[in-house]
Amino acid sequence: MSLHLKGKICILALISIVGVTFLGSKAQDSLIVSAIPDQNPEKLNRLYNLLTNELENKLNVPVRYVPVTNYASAVSAFRTRSLDLVWFGGLTGVQARLQRPGAKVIAQRDIDAKFHSVFIANTSTGIKPFSNQSGLKAIRGKRFTFGSQSSTSGRLMPQFFLQRAGVKVSDFSGGNAGFSGSHDATIALVQSGSYEVGALNEQVWSTRVKSGNIDLSKVQVIWRSPAYADYHWLAQPDIDNRFGKGFTTKLQRTLLNLSRKSKKQSEILDLFGANRFIKATSSQYTDIEKIGRKLGKIK
Amino acid sequence: MKLKAASGLVALLPSLALIPVLIGILKGLHIGGLPVLVNFLSSSLHPSLNATVLQSSWKGLQVTVYIAAISWLLSIFLGLILAIGSSKIIFQTIGLPNWLRLLIRMTLSFPRAIHELIWGLILLQLIGLSPWIAIIAIIIPYSSLTARVIGDQIDALDIKPLEALKVCGAKPLSALITTIIPKIIPVITSYGGYRFECALRGATLLGVFGLGGIGTELQLSFQSLKFEEMWTSLWMLAGLMFIVELLVNYFHKINIGSEQTEFNKKLRIDYLIAIITITFLCYQFISGDNYSNISWHPIQLPSRLELIQAANELDIIKLISNTLILTFLSAGIAIGTPPLWMMIWPHHSYLRIQSLIWGFFRLIPPPLSALILLLSTNPNIYVAALALGAHNMGVMGRLLKEGIEQNGNSTAIAFESLGAKPSQTWLYGCLNPNAPSYLAYSAYRTDVLIRQTAVLGLVGGTGLGWQLLESISSFNWAEIAVLIIIYAIITLTGESITDHLRIYWDSKNKLDFTS
Repeated sequence: MSLHLKGKICILALISIVGVTFLGSKAQDSLIVSAIPDQNPEKLNRLYNLLTNELENKLNVPVRYVPVTNYASAVSAFRTRSLDLVWFGGLTGVQARLQRPGAKVIAQRDIDAKFHSVFIANTSTGIKPFSNQSGLKAIRGKRFTFGSQSSTSGRLMPQFFLQRAGVKVSDFSGGNAGFSGSHDATIALVQSGSYEVGALNEQVWSTRVKSGNIDLSKVQVIWRSPAYADYHWLAQPDIDNRFGKGFTTKLQRTLLNLSRKSKKQSEILDLFGANRFIKATSSQYTDIEKIGRKLGKIK
Repeated sequence: MKLKAASGLVALLPSLALIPVLIGILKGLHIGGLPVLVNFLSSSLHPSLNATVLQSSWKGLQVTVYIAAISWLLSIFLGLILAIGSSKIIFQTIGLPNWLRLLIRMTLSFPRAIHELIWGLILLQLIGLSPWIAIIAIIIPYSSLTARVIGDQIDALDIKPLEALKVCGAKPLSALITTIIPKIIPVITSYGGYRFECALRGATLLGVFGLGGIGTELQLSFQSLKFEEMWTSLWMLAGLMFIVELLVNYFHKINIGSEQTEFNKKLRIDYLIAIITITFLCYQFISGDNYSNISWHPIQLPSRLELIQAANELDIIKLISNTLILTFLSAGIAIGTPPLWMMIWPHHSYLRIQSLIWGFFRLIPPPLSALILLLSTNPNIYVAALALGAHNMGVMGRLLKEGIEQNGNSTAIAFESLGAKPSQTWLYGCLNPNAPSYLAYSAYRTDVLIRQTAVLGLVGGTGLGWQLLESISSFNWAEIAVLIIIYAIITLTGESITDHLRIYWDSKNKLDFTS
């Protein structure tokens, strides 16, 4: 093949990548929905139209889903009003409310009012399951990993319980805790033995155990944390002005009415790992805020 | 001959960094992560072909190309203007004082002292979620980098034709345009093509940190350890990189060795039109998206007191030393491994396998390779160094291979006919003539590496980058400001050191490093 022909073919290939299937543009004001990348974010990123279609049908406004891959950018995007309705964790929700005063807590899952973290350990460490918080002392000097930096169940609350048991992050092997980036990565890294102990969201753990993805001879739960309030939907304070009076209430009702009886709605609930959504208030998260301030995650 | 042997060996010297890194990694090696590793590798053979996955990856790929194309074209354009505006030749022709030029140059070094990822994360805070963030984040450091490289080239030009024109009475501006522009066009087409690849890699990495495109797809699948879905994106990205690489090679080939024939000039215009069309399409897409409006959301700037307090609270010395260790180790791996590998296995068929390996490492963003490595070894700074080093090794390996191919192998044939062993032939015949230009480029790469240390947060406390991500997640603006200032100081110091090294190696080298 001649050199010039080759060059032309390459250019053509590039044009076809750019040109094939353009997304339609929307000029109207739409409700922008997003979620922190917590569990199955890739699934949500592909199946979000289940949710957006449902909201569009019930609310009669254009709805768009925008993916984010890290917790902090979800908070920032909420502050800069790039996102209208976001599925936040406990800590990120509080951070977002502080940066955007007046934001409204819309709903949480049935499991979020009393949520738990689990500490898991590689069985080679010989650490036996314990029921008392002070048992956490046994993981001093071990290689330990959290999940994502801003995760409530994978970092904030575990660090809080560690502190209460008198264990500092500098007590771990290497003088610091690792950040695996996600709950799934924490499981994989502790199961492999690279990290000896880790902490994560209990719900992700039990879902993965049920689906048979975990080798329980290599990794096991050593402690289940006390309960705390976690994930919730948060909406911008001004959506009533933008989409009409009573919009926030309508939105809340739509989410609360999602039911297992409808197949489509069932699929949406599955995406969020929920049985159903229930009402929530910001006062449920005052403890999270206090702990966040104490650990320096909230200024 | 003695002196020549030295430069080849100097190129091999950095590979010594492999010793501590491999010891560190092998010491913690275990087979616990083997199933995941096997799953990762075998998934490459059967990536997910599910329609929604394909569609979503394809869209991601498009967005990455859009971001890369627009930011690339704009940064070349801006860089060119800045380069001409800050070149010796211009200042002398127009008669402006030299201190002004030096001041402009110094100011220009700040934007490139900060990695595009950090620009992206900061802009995200100030502007909100928009595809333009990724574009602006790439433009800022890239135009400054382009300005530096092209500026160096302009300053190296022969100014006699310009003086001749001026003596003949031509106006300064028209004299400049007639003499400089034709000389600079080949530099732009050759260096510019390479920048496009960089822009693609940059756009992918920004995506990994949430700014959209194929990187976002990769990261989302990866976080859930869905390797088959991740490979769908990786293979698409590989295809794109392959096409772009062919293009870059092509532009390279029409640049070197060919006279400036009419045919080539016409062809260049064709391609220029094609490239502008592509960029225009990309622009249309992004601005047609109602999500692209930019509005300014300032944050409250930290006071001096807060800054001092933050500086006191951070363990700055440890953060800096960790960052430097990480840079040295990864630079050693990136620079030293390719020549070492080629010396051990100089045969042609091995070289082909090697280029595949270089390509593989260029393809995988360092945060992903770090996690894969971490599955089979204990967490320490060496994991981060190897992941970062391997990615950049991919860049350096290709550069060395290209350099050797271009220089021809007459020296090597001479050595071979004298009965030298293959590895000796390679060392003296191939590596030595290329070592100075390779090392000059290595100096640039080391600068890049200092900035790239920001992308690895997986292993706790690995340095400034890790701390920066932690501070961003706490929205601690005073800490963020302090960290960025430290970053800038380190990068600028590093740059002035590597500048001296580069000038030293350049002076030993007849070819310019862009070729």
